[in-house]
Amino acid sequence: MKLFINIILLSLVYLTPAFAHPEFQRYSKKVSGRSVNCAMCHRHSDGPEGVKPGQIGSLNQDELNALGLARQALKPGAGVKSPILNEFGSSILNQLGKEKILELKQRPELLAGSLSKTNDLDGDGIPDAEEFKDGTHPLNSLDGHPWKLFKNNLGKNWFDILMIVLATGSGLYGLQNALIWLSIKARREE
Amino acid sequence: MGKQKNKFLQMVDFLTERMPLHNLSFDHIVNEKEVPVHRMSWAYYMGGLTLLFFIIQLVTGVFLLFYYQPTVSDAHASVEYITFFVKSGFLIRNLHTWSSSCMILCLMVHMITSFAMKAFARPREITWISGSLLLIITFAFGFTGYLLPWHQIAVNATKVVLQSIEEAGHYLPGALAALPSYIKEIIQGEVSVGQATLSRFYALHVVILPLFFMGAIGLHLLGVQLHGMSPGVDTPPREKERFFPVFILKDFWLWGIVFLVVFVLSLCLPFESFYSYPLFEAYNALGSTPEGIKPEWYFYFVYYPLEILPFWVIMLGMTIAQAGIFFVPWIFKNTSRKVLSIIAWIIAAYLIIITLFGQLIYEVFKGSGK
Repeated sequence: MKLFINIILLSLVYLTPAFAHPEFQRYSKKVSGRSVNCAMCHRHSDGPEGVKPGQIGSLNQDELNALGLARQALKPGAGVKSPILNEFGSSILNQLGKEKILELKQRPELLAGSLSKTNDLDGDGIPDAEEFKDGTHPLNSLDGHPWKLFKNNLGKNWFDILMIVLATGSGLYGLQNALIWLSIKARREE
Repeated sequence: MGKQKNKFLQMVDFLTERMPLHNLSFDHIVNEKEVPVHRMSWAYYMGGLTLLFFIIQLVTGVFLLFYYQPTVSDAHASVEYITFFVKSGFLIRNLHTWSSSCMILCLMVHMITSFAMKAFARPREITWISGSLLLIITFAFGFTGYLLPWHQIAVNATKVVLQSIEEAGHYLPGALAALPSYIKEIIQGEVSVGQATLSRFYALHVVILPLFFMGAIGLHLLGVQLHGMSPGVDTPPREKERFFPVFILKDFWLWGIVFLVVFVLSLCLPFESFYSYPLFEAYNALGSTPEGIKPEWYFYFVYYPLEILPFWVIMLGMTIAQAGIFFVPWIFKNTSRKVLSIIAWIIAAYLIIITLFGQLIYEVFKGSGK
């Protein structure tokens, strides 16, 4: 039985074409004006096809099985983890399901609106759906729209900033008094 | 013999006038030194700010050295490790990146304002020359440091620059034509940008250039202390302030404010967020080259003209500019401050326009996006 399932899954992997979706990549690049590559959703920046790590040709048996399962995730909420997709790619698959993704290929501008407004995989304060539109990486907390990142980080780090302001101010105040004292002493000796 | 002695004495006189070491006393610096107060007084703080950024570079650079691995296999991973796993590693690295840009910006403003204020005039020629040397060393810092993270933009941009050195050979006559290739090989260390290049750039960035910088800045600061600030304006300013403690205190407060601004920027705004993420993936010789490979912003003033104009025009212009900068005190010996200010404004306008709108100008000239 197990062998039978494996054969079915393997056939699915090899007989169906690799589902790279450059429509979404092109859309993200167009609206953001930033260069975007396959690494936004895939494990390898050159996409799913090939023999490099994270590409189909490099997968072992277990990973091929996982890929087969991912390709059957037609409806949302399948909870699969594709070995050729990164966390953001898998998150899209689990949120929308394959059917919806294929449908959105015709209208990639609707993808961001179909995704959760609160999901933020890298924790940079910018939702993944917004990062898709901004052309920034949803899994890299240092990559984001500069102004949005600045605002979010300012809110997050206000205490550290307050402390460094106090430390710098106190240090300079002390230095000022030391220099004034030295100056008065030097003039007296003169 | 008499003539030789005269020349020797002339040289001694020249150096004594330029380096009046008798002024190097506690009394002179603390009690006598004064700073003119006029509409351009703000420019006196630019040199100090450049020094502040160099100190930040030095301190953060030493911290980065604790973790950075200068090998093509580990360089990128070690930078990622510093950024994401070392406590405060991101802050230190971002401080290093932001302050490198700020250092170059301040140095450029310092050079331009010093030029406009005729701060190079006799007897401050050595101060100007050492400053010019510092400018070139700082650009070399920028160029060598850019390669170290070994990501796509770093390696590809370095390749482009090294390639342009080789191209210079096409415009040189006879045996000289081979010289640029030879220079490129010396810098590169092997047939392509690889481990030998990384090792060389690393050694230059962390040992050789800092040593040269220390020497040049020592000479520069000595010149500033011995001669004091240049008057800066044609009519002698009526108002002056004591260097110690008035000016130096203002300088330190400014350092504090600027440090806080750079600290907040480094904590809240990753420098890399201004660029596309594919540019910061590990360099892959067999992979595709991402779009948008460019040198750092402070090289745009050469990069965009190189893309638009014939190579030989830029090469000639750069050679003249690089050599000429050292001879400014003699070339502009009799030029008025008014004329110098106009030239300085033209240079500043060129640098601002080409840095901010270089891509746009390029697209207009070439008729399409790059």
